[in-house]
Amino acid sequence: MMDLHTEMILEEYREARPVFEKMQTEVLQLLRDTLNKNGIIVTAIEARIKTEESLAGKLALKGAKYATLSDITDILGARIITFYTDDVDRIAAMAEQLFEIDWANSVDKRRLHQLDSFGYNSLHYICRLPGYDFRFELQLRTTLQHAWASINHDTGYKSGVEIPREYMRRINRLAGLLEIADDEFSHIRTEINDYRRRVQQLVQNGKLDDVLLDGDTFRSYLDAKPFAILNKRIAAINQAEIQEVPLIRYLGVLKELGCTTLGDVNRLRTRYEEDAYTLARHQLGNTDLDIISSAVGLQNICIVAILRQGGGKMGLLRMFNALNGHNTDNEALAELTYNQASALSFITQP
Amino acid sequence: MKTTIVENGNQWIASFSGRLDTAAAVQTAEDVKPLMELSNKEIILDCSELEYISSSGLRIFLSIRKEAATHGSKVIVRSINADIRQVFMMTGFISLFEIQ
Repeated sequence: MMDLHTEMILEEYREARPVFEKMQTEVLQLLRDTLNKNGIIVTAIEARIKTEESLAGKLALKGAKYATLSDITDILGARIITFYTDDVDRIAAMAEQLFEIDWANSVDKRRLHQLDSFGYNSLHYICRLPGYDFRFELQLRTTLQHAWASINHDTGYKSGVEIPREYMRRINRLAGLLEIADDEFSHIRTEINDYRRRVQQLVQNGKLDDVLLDGDTFRSYLDAKPFAILNKRIAAINQAEIQEVPLIRYLGVLKELGCTTLGDVNRLRTRYEEDAYTLARHQLGNTDLDIISSAVGLQNICIVAILRQGGGKMGLLRMFNALNGHNTDNEALAELTYNQASALSFITQP
Repeated sequence: MKTTIVENGNQWIASFSGRLDTAAAVQTAEDVKPLMELSNKEIILDCSELEYISSSGLRIFLSIRKEAATHGSKVIVRSINADIRQVFMMTGFISLFEIQ
């Protein structure tokens, strides 16, 4: 049997529900826009409005604590689950700009633990969206913290039975393990970013022989558009427009051509770009094709390099397999390319 | 030049027949418009009856691919003849499309 006080708050809840729904939409949109603007990728952004049943349960347990609906701060709850621990702090700083924070009721559960205890780790902010009277709760946690909290909730609260101390200890020590993993993921990200900055510096300073060829370093090299001049020369053959396409697929081909550093790639480019242009002129000169892709320069450099290194048709087939995946069409493509290039004796006669 | 579009479950097959040259490109661009807004579909560009493709035709294929990527769809170019394969290769678009 519900008391009058609970009934009054529930009635208030029913009337205010459309306000919470509007607030939920606006909060989610604001959070999504802010994360996008700041380039933060997260695992999830979610929100829910407490159900009437759940609210009634909460009031039955501690109804006396709340005079009105406005005193309950988690009718609307939003949650952001991040990849990294540092993102929790970055997003918290953004939330402080977006919302009015009720500091008296906000809790950083990460700081509540004793030096020798582990367990629930999340940042809970009680917020107010400008223009609204009701407050809402924003939870920020990492994916690993979320996994721990969800499993802990499932084994602990959901069963409604207090679980033995031994199992609690095992669950809590997992929280410690995941804290170490979270820190390690953050450190790895920081170190990878440092590595990328170092590589960019080396590329900018032209120290290409010091940079090993991999996906990351090849992207840095491509950022400087090293094939742009060749592409423009090829485009000029038919006054063609150039469509930008990704070149990262050529990484495997370049490795197969023996390139181990960006210096090797650059030498390959300078050694064969004139021949690559001649091949393009031979191919396109008698056509009226006035559109080319930005891959054409590098593609022709690779074709010339393969043929001048004696790779023949098989070498071309390996290139097309690396670029397009294995398919029967690649054989015809290798044949066609070989026949076209064979007309230029300097290519096939090393 | 004739373009036929058939829906087959999650797959949409556009079959091209004839010469996709500059003159035919305007009508073909109109004919393929239904493909431009498909979300999360597989779009097959069946070229088994396509004899020739010009730059204007290539631009239509590129537009289809660009819109498909925006809407989470995938484009496969199927059964191109030797001349069209040569066009794709010479222009550097061969590795942009999945060709079967």
